[in-house]
Amino acid sequence: MNPIIDLTAVSIDRSGERVVRHVDLTVIEGSWFGLIGANGSGKTSLLRALAGRLPFASGSCRIDGVEMIADRLARATHFGFSPPADTLPDGLRGREVLELVGGDIETMWPCLGPLRKALGLDALLDRWIGDCSAGMRQRITIALAFAQGHTRVILDEPFNWLDPVAAFDLRQALRAMVNNGLTLMTALHDLGTLAVACDAGIMLAGGNVAMGLDSRLLETAAQDPQAFERQTIDRLRAASAP
Amino acid sequence: MVGEGAGPAARLFRYDRRIAANAARATFSGWHDRLIATTMLLFALAAARSWLLDRTWPIAAWTIFGAGVLIGLTAGRLIAVRLAFHAFHGPLAADALRPALRGHYLIAWFAIGLALLAIFTVIARPSLLIAILPGYLIGSFVGYVTGSLSIAGFGAGKAGFDRMFRSWIQRPGAGIVAAAILLLSLAVAAQYLRGDALVVVAGIETALSGFALTIVDDSSVRFQTIAGRGAWRIIGPQARGAMVFVGIAAPVCSFAFGVALAAVVAATSIATLLLMAMRTLAYRIHGKGFADFIVSILTGLLILTAFSMPILLPFVGIAILWQLQRRSAARTWLLA
Repeated sequence: MNPIIDLTAVSIDRSGERVVRHVDLTVIEGSWFGLIGANGSGKTSLLRALAGRLPFASGSCRIDGVEMIADRLARATHFGFSPPADTLPDGLRGREVLELVGGDIETMWPCLGPLRKALGLDALLDRWIGDCSAGMRQRITIALAFAQGHTRVILDEPFNWLDPVAAFDLRQALRAMVNNGLTLMTALHDLGTLAVACDAGIMLAGGNVAMGLDSRLLETAAQDPQAFERQTIDRLRAASAP
Repeated sequence: MVGEGAGPAARLFRYDRRIAANAARATFSGWHDRLIATTMLLFALAAARSWLLDRTWPIAAWTIFGAGVLIGLTAGRLIAVRLAFHAFHGPLAADALRPALRGHYLIAWFAIGLALLAIFTVIARPSLLIAILPGYLIGSFVGYVTGSLSIAGFGAGKAGFDRMFRSWIQRPGAGIVAAAILLLSLAVAAQYLRGDALVVVAGIETALSGFALTIVDDSSVRFQTIAGRGAWRIIGPQARGAMVFVGIAAPVCSFAFGVALAAVVAATSIATLLLMAMRTLAYRIHGKGFADFIVSILTGLLILTAFSMPILLPFVGIAILWQLQRRSAARTWLLA
């Protein structure tokens, strides 16, 4: 039970507004940590800041025990991160973008493990990204987060745009990788995935932590998903009420 | 320095170079595209050479120095914006945040710009190398620094203001306000200036108003394209403010200040509208950086045509729009 990410009272500003306020969280090595919350609750900002794509405004961000609150480069180097699917360049093929990021495709496959099959990557290698559907782009961005061999990976709503089969396969593949030592942080909107696949998490509302989700609570949720959904929705409604 | 096999140090550069190379290959995929591009390039080089050789050295040198500064400003700003994109959205954010790798990236792209300008100047008038290269370097530095600063200021509330301003300038009211400002300022200037000087002031003011009223948001164009909007349905609303502006300013100027001044106002407004249409069509086809690059080349071609063979200008303008429209019409998006 080794905590590798330890955030204390972190805040994040975007466009002059504070979007995340005094958030505390701890992520254990080899676990799947889920963030849920309404649109605009600060999930993406928090994940991007953790991955070095945004600066933190204040607080403490310790990764492997080292303070990195002011060091975006160190955080960006530390984590694999999936870029937003709509920012992938139309003018590259799937193979090109993967190889430009991760090197030779044959040496990259072991980094991707079961994701190669789950994401159907072989069929996307020779396709222009400009000709890809939103779901196909999403598959490529997920692969990019793993292409450089990171064992700590951050995915922002990875199941968006995926068809039900692909979403199921991806969830299984990610869970298998977590069981083999991957540390994963994801933003989610799907409470079922949170209950079934995640080991811990938090619910964000208005930039604050509205609810902590520990392993015991999620185990209970997995046994009675409907009750968990009702309880979570009630919390989200209460947190977003004026 | 920065080649295909240069390792991680060149990864950012290779990423963008591959995008640019693929986009260029796609743009000039047919033999007729390549023929048109080659003809345009040769024509532009010949016209530039002819124009520069016909001028005295000091005038040619100052002109080319100014062009170098402008090109450098554009290049510097584009590179700053692109690096910010890599650091925020790109899959190689760690490279874009590492100072040494940022340096490799900057040097590589600025060196390419420098080499292209040097080749152009050697063909056009070699003695002007001494003028264009410092201009480009100064412009690049200023463009990069100001571009980086404006991106840094983006987090301090500027984004909201930009969105509000962009939304407002597309309204007819913005065109009415801009026309009123132009007419009032010309009425004041007319007390002190006469003839050509007043026409020059009108031209500059119209250009500034026209550029302000035809700002194009590349992400908005991209989104509307994804949502299935045709090119002219995107361009139409963006042109409203400028259309109202010229619709009021040109007739009133004709009545108050003469036909020549009104013609300058109308021509300058049409030029800004044409530029807006070209940018919008290009953003439908390419990413912002490459689209701006293509549009800057096409704009240079139009300026050269206006100087050397003005009678051909409408035909060249229409041909460019048709070509861009033909390509942009093929853009489709599958949502799932």
